Amino acid sequence: MLKTWSCSAINLLKSTATLQQQVRTTFVLKRKYDPLLHKTNEKPRKLRAKHFIYELVEDTNIKRRPNIEVVLKTYVEGVGDKGDVVSVRPNFAYNKLLLPGLAVYKTDENLTLYAKTEEDAKVVSHSSAFAQRTVNVIERFSLSVVMNKDHPWVIEPWHIKASLRKAGIHCPEECITMPEERIEGPDFNKEGKEFYCTITVNNLEKARLRCRIHHWSTDPSDRLPYTPEYWKMPPEPLFGNESSGENVETKVEEK
Amino acid sequence: MFSLISSMRSVLVRQQNVDKLRSLHTTPLCEAARKGTREKARKKKVKVEVKKVGFIPHNQRDKKVNLQRQNLHFDDSWKQVPQDNVYVLKYYRWPVYTVAEAIQCHRETHHPSIYNVPNAPLNVEIELDMQAEKKNRFVDNFQRMAMIPHKFDHGEERKILVFTKGNEEISEARQAGASLVGGIELIKDITNGELLLSDYQFVIAHPNILPELIALRGLMKRKFPNPRSETLGTNLAEMIERFSNGISYTATKDEHQQDFGFISTSVGTLDMDTTKLEENLRSLLNDVNSVRPKREGEHFIKRVLLKSPPSSERLKIDAFKYIPEFYVKTSNKTSAKSNEALDQEDESSEKQQAIAAQ
Repeated sequence: MLKTWSCSAINLLKSTATLQQQVRTTFVLKRKYDPLLHKTNEKPRKLRAKHFIYELVEDTNIKRRPNIEVVLKTYVEGVGDKGDVVSVRPNFAYNKLLLPGLAVYKTDENLTLYAKTEEDAKVVSHSSAFAQRTVNVIERFSLSVVMNKDHPWVIEPWHIKASLRKAGIHCPEECITMPEERIEGPDFNKEGKEFYCTITVNNLEKARLRCRIHHWSTDPSDRLPYTPEYWKMPPEPLFGNESSGENVETKVEEK
Repeated sequence: MFSLISSMRSVLVRQQNVDKLRSLHTTPLCEAARKGTREKARKKKVKVEVKKVGFIPHNQRDKKVNLQRQNLHFDDSWKQVPQDNVYVLKYYRWPVYTVAEAIQCHRETHHPSIYNVPNAPLNVEIELDMQAEKKNRFVDNFQRMAMIPHKFDHGEERKILVFTKGNEEISEARQAGASLVGGIELIKDITNGELLLSDYQFVIAHPNILPELIALRGLMKRKFPNPRSETLGTNLAEMIERFSNGISYTATKDEHQQDFGFISTSVGTLDMDTTKLEENLRSLLNDVNSVRPKREGEHFIKRVLLKSPPSSERLKIDAFKYIPEFYVKTSNKTSAKSNEALDQEDESSEKQQAIAAQ
């Protein structure tokens, strides 16, 4: 017993600084007092009590585990499309992807098995992992389009773009589709009334954005009184009849 | 009487004893310990820096408020970079605009059809890392005047007092736009009390009048011309122009987080030309960069945001197109830097070679 133990001890003591192979230990320890040296092919010196005093180098339990790579089998919102190789946290991978069967481990066979075929490439139902999330956010929005109270204006796409940027959504002008009718002002009949625009995400997904007109004056004393939580108030359509006012293009059906 | 005599006797006796005590050494002559022990004790005594705390009212004195404050340095490197063309800003890193794009965005919101303030000032907010060369040491707050190529109305009243000898220089200074120019007569006026120094914010002087100007040193104190604040020099016209048109800015540290510095100034108005605004911004950034501590591999300017009231939008721009990102020692050419930095560094190494050749 002692011999075998000491034989294994020989290997360890050869190089005190480096480990020759990776060892799966939870706690990585280091000897505080170096054991006594011995000449080659000699029996090692006896270890005393002080040689069994260790210092903690690393506790692998509290270290962050590295991400694992998985291959997705279908489209998963916020992660990726079919055939994508995604690097995610291990917990998320096990519980949310591998167990429900939405993904498999990354191996060469799996890569070829779940790679995107030509048929899949033709039918593009989702432009990106996060496009659907953006669409959901836009659908819930009640965008306040601030226009001037005194200066004449006509609503153009860049007004919507500026208002969206103020509200926290980045949208280039070419993605905004305005309603066909001209919206002119300042017109207090239009104050607080809603009209719809269409936002096209990645030239594919379309979302209907509700916009409310609000008249604002440069002079603080001239401004309209603030209605608290105006976005919760039931909206009045701008163009009288809702069906005529809506200028929505049908959303692409998700397959 | 008897008690007196006895007390005197005891005193005498005590004195004798005292003498005896003095002659008898029960303890070593010098009480110091071994040198090693003394060194050890000295090292143990760590000097505690007493922080000067201002006046605290009595009802707030003993309160131990232990706040965990958020780091004021903004870091969004953990966030993703947007892949789509339409996206929700809060899930991704802040978009970095070019100066032209940012100005255009502000112009859109300030258009007559929306806010109707086309001449709004364009403000710049610069966030700094105020850590000096050594750890736990921080750069002091500084107040500087940045020279800009294209002047604009800053709305501040800046009266400049210029001291110089020679009629040529006096006329040159007057042309440049100083409010009052003079020589020895002006100094005499001030000492007499006919002229008030407090009327004038800036004092500029030519070195030729310096001996006479020292008489006013006590009166002027901070305003006294010195080459460090660039109020003392030969090129009067340039200095006057700089102080009358330049951007005055102060960098202040946050009282709770010492390594966070903040500058907020205006570089022009939105109705100015975009290229002019960009050049003003460039000179401001170069001026801020000139005071940077010599720490290698660390940022000084962390973020530059463009803001324009009444809008509350802050648009991030890439400052490292105009100034080098990291401080680089001229001898060392290996650290990572932008192309601008490479050019600047080549120039400075050439200058060094030129100086060495001389």
